[in-house]
Amino acid sequence: MAPPISKVEAFRFLNQATFGATEVEANRLIALGDSNNAYSRWIDQQIGREATLLLPAVEAAYPDPIPVNFNIASLNGDRLSQWFTNTLRGEDQLRQRVGFALSEIFVVSQVGALQNLPNATADFHDILVRGAFGDFRVLLENVTLHPAMGVYLSMLGNQRAVANTNLRPDENYSREMMQLFSIGLVQLNVDGTVRNDASGQPMASFNQEVTEGFARVFTGWKWECPTTLPACTFATTRPQLAPVAGYNQVRPMRLYPDFHETGTKLVLNYPGVTLPNATIQAGQSGAQDLKDALDNVFNHPNVGPFISKQLIQRLVTSNPSPAYVQRVAEKFNNDGAGRRGNLEAVVKTILLDPDARNPASGTAAASAGKLKEPLLRLTQFWRAYEATSRSGRLGVAANFSGGASAVFGQAQGSSPSVFNFFSPFYAPPGEISDSGRVSPEMQIATEYVNTQIANFFWTQAVSRTHAATNLAADIMYINTTEELAVANDSEALINRVAERLLGESGQISATLKAQAKAQIERTVVPATNPNSALATRTADAIFLVATSPEFALQR
Amino acid sequence: MNRLRRKFLKAAAAGGVAYAFGRTAGTVYAQMTGTGGFADYKALVCLFMFGGNDSWNMVVPSSTAEYNAYSRSRGGGTTSSLAVDRTSLLPITLPGQVAGDLSYGFHPSMIGARDLFAQGKLAVMANIGPLIRPTTKTQYQTAGTTGHALPPQLFSHNDQQDQWHSLRGRATMKSGWAGRVADVLNAQAGNQGLSVNVSLAGQTFFQASEIAKPYVMGANGPTQFAAFPTSGVGPLRRQSFESVLTATMGSSSSSMYERAYASVQQRAVQFADRITLAIANGYSFNALPNTGTLSSLQQQLRTVAKIISVRQNLGLSRQIFFVSTGGFDQHDDLVRDQPGLLSNISSSVKMFYDSIREIGMDNNVTLFTHSDFGRTLTSNGDGSDHAWGGVQMVVGGAVRGGRFYGAYPLLENGGLSDVGGGRIIPSISADQYAATLASWFGVGDTDLVKVAPSINNFAARNLGFMV
Repeated sequence: MAPPISKVEAFRFLNQATFGATEVEANRLIALGDSNNAYSRWIDQQIGREATLLLPAVEAAYPDPIPVNFNIASLNGDRLSQWFTNTLRGEDQLRQRVGFALSEIFVVSQVGALQNLPNATADFHDILVRGAFGDFRVLLENVTLHPAMGVYLSMLGNQRAVANTNLRPDENYSREMMQLFSIGLVQLNVDGTVRNDASGQPMASFNQEVTEGFARVFTGWKWECPTTLPACTFATTRPQLAPVAGYNQVRPMRLYPDFHETGTKLVLNYPGVTLPNATIQAGQSGAQDLKDALDNVFNHPNVGPFISKQLIQRLVTSNPSPAYVQRVAEKFNNDGAGRRGNLEAVVKTILLDPDARNPASGTAAASAGKLKEPLLRLTQFWRAYEATSRSGRLGVAANFSGGASAVFGQAQGSSPSVFNFFSPFYAPPGEISDSGRVSPEMQIATEYVNTQIANFFWTQAVSRTHAATNLAADIMYINTTEELAVANDSEALINRVAERLLGESGQISATLKAQAKAQIERTVVPATNPNSALATRTADAIFLVATSPEFALQR
Repeated sequence: MNRLRRKFLKAAAAGGVAYAFGRTAGTVYAQMTGTGGFADYKALVCLFMFGGNDSWNMVVPSSTAEYNAYSRSRGGGTTSSLAVDRTSLLPITLPGQVAGDLSYGFHPSMIGARDLFAQGKLAVMANIGPLIRPTTKTQYQTAGTTGHALPPQLFSHNDQQDQWHSLRGRATMKSGWAGRVADVLNAQAGNQGLSVNVSLAGQTFFQASEIAKPYVMGANGPTQFAAFPTSGVGPLRRQSFESVLTATMGSSSSSMYERAYASVQQRAVQFADRITLAIANGYSFNALPNTGTLSSLQQQLRTVAKIISVRQNLGLSRQIFFVSTGGFDQHDDLVRDQPGLLSNISSSVKMFYDSIREIGMDNNVTLFTHSDFGRTLTSNGDGSDHAWGGVQMVVGGAVRGGRFYGAYPLLENGGLSDVGGGRIIPSISADQYAATLASWFGVGDTDLVKVAPSINNFAARNLGFMV
């Protein structure tokens, strides 16, 4: 029998697979079996869990009746609150985590054209969460036809060229679908490394002619009709605002054949391509063109390594070894039962891989894992400290001055562009860049954002706890009961915080422990009225660990 | 070790080799007021228009034949037209222009920019973009067989942003051109109370460097640490916090992600109080007032102007600021939304110039624009797509303004410089632009190739737009 999972190992796994390890979940995982089977049992349980969603919260948040001049964009805040509720409390943690990773590949954002379409933005995230363990080809089609993506990357309303004018199809979705959602710009080996030509330059995976070919494919699609208004046309420009039956913010886009380009379309060429001359024949229906084009993309050899590597980066490590990427990409290419694009198999392979499970040793340890992105630091912290609010609403705007994005540099569904909050290729100057490695999350770990996050944790630790009185109803507070109980003992206090945030008291570095203890002891606990001193000591311990480099690291 | 002693050691380290572990320790900045090696102060301000500005609508030909070509290419007369109405253009006069010459005008929402141009304080780069060497349409079309060097991944947002930022051409490069300027000038400008490179708009490859670390603040400056009040146990809490960072950066058992994170955190603590205080004591400008509604770009530029106003307190001699605004990726609704974006650019640039003039630094501060790429002349229905060459602007008292640099192309779809769909080949390069700005800033001629690696492929190493 294999050895049991240690607490530290459980934390490591749960920080990859959930929105933050907690002691309760770690104990549950450990109880599932030994290290040979507990992880896969936990994953299987998670895969069986139903998805918790965002759209119902947005629909429920509409006032009835809807007042004149209602600020519909305010419902984006309800979406975000529900996202915090789902990620802090949802039982479908793995699905939520993978869905969030997918949302950083298939990006739409409330910033920009979707601002006043909160149902669409919420439902788009829901299709990613629902599809987290599904079929990648299906997901790609759902993404393509979702009106949120249609609006965000202007495929919605894209129309065929008009003869004798300079009007031609919009290339936006075509280009970004290939560059960001499926194959990337350069040809890849199955292990994710770049294929170079004889002169040492990376080989492009598509060119402008192919961009124009897919742009022609993606013509003729616009809003689906609300069931109450079946006579809508391509010219129908506004979705219905009210959340009535048949509400078309969330229904897949509809084809209007008169606006679809019927000529031939050049698509991707690669070894094994099935379309003759990598060309879609003229005269097909728009639906057939779409099917052929998405099949053509889906079967490109880049998709496996391109998507697998990014999922590994989001879940496990910034710099996976080529062998690790290859093991996952091969599972993407064939799940063992002949299926391509089976995300359930891909996710399992990512999390059960030896590179994910076994702590790196020696020089490899220096580049193992990744920096936690700011939202994941926050959710882990809140989960570890059982954060809640008097109203029971979680993560609402009241907690973030100027919005979550303004404080944490990111918020679900709020990327500044389709290029996400950070690039998978970002390499900060210095040893990371010099060694050819990347640290995507470092791109938003600026002096400014880090300071605001430190201030957030300080405020949380010092004044937003269960002991605070007069907190506004929606303010999230943490439960520091156990810390306060041992706060007269600096060793016990720092050990308790380390157990909560790092898994075991032995995980904390000697320096952090010594500095935290010294700082704790600077506040002397008086014999009478000790509460204020105990609270300060607790706040110091929590603040110094929560802002430390070692908490920012996902091991 | 007491704090004074620690400060002294940091200051000493900044003058010499400061690498404790690789480059993670970076340059440790002097906290004392330093004096730069330059007797004067100069600042460059990069204004990045994210998304790819459709700049053929920013400066538009107005003479009949040229306007008609422009309008035809942009679908003029159809419901999908992107052309700006000819009568609405704000006219400008080029040096020596007489009746019958080619003529141009600014977009109607750009009164401030037009006024600066008329005052000779704004120069127009007529058709600029990333190039590795001068390129003709034939060279572009046959590059696949001839090997004529083109910037890789033309028409891709992030790749072409990277080209503007880094001028890397086909090389792999880990630094931006502003970062390399800072590195080249490090000996003279490095010992400052603030980094040479300061971003008010997030991390940018433009400022990435090997030696001189950039610093990122918010639109209104840095934030101070709430946990470190100067009374009670605050200073000691700060000391504990900093000790953890120092230990992390110096530990071979920490991970490279922890070290990188700690390095940022350390700069954050070192600069926050001092810069916040300096900005609070900065000049109150009439043109960029402390109160009232300003756009994010205007707030960023106000903060830049305030830092410039306290340059002496901070011991600054050379700085490169990065500010930005987005929304330019107008595949949709271009006609509806572009006026607001261009209006913001124009008014912000004018307010910034006027503010810098208020403190008498207009000859020492130069603002210039970058954007991902120009856009297609042709319409996709209600917007335009990713292209290549376009118009950029340079503003300041040291700018030889009121002129065009580079040839403004005939905007004819299918014309001599169109590689398809109205994607125009640039006539001057981003390398030439950067080299001209860097020369003014104090980079010596022999170092220009470090800043602009392809500069020697172009006949003109200096475009002549700086005095």
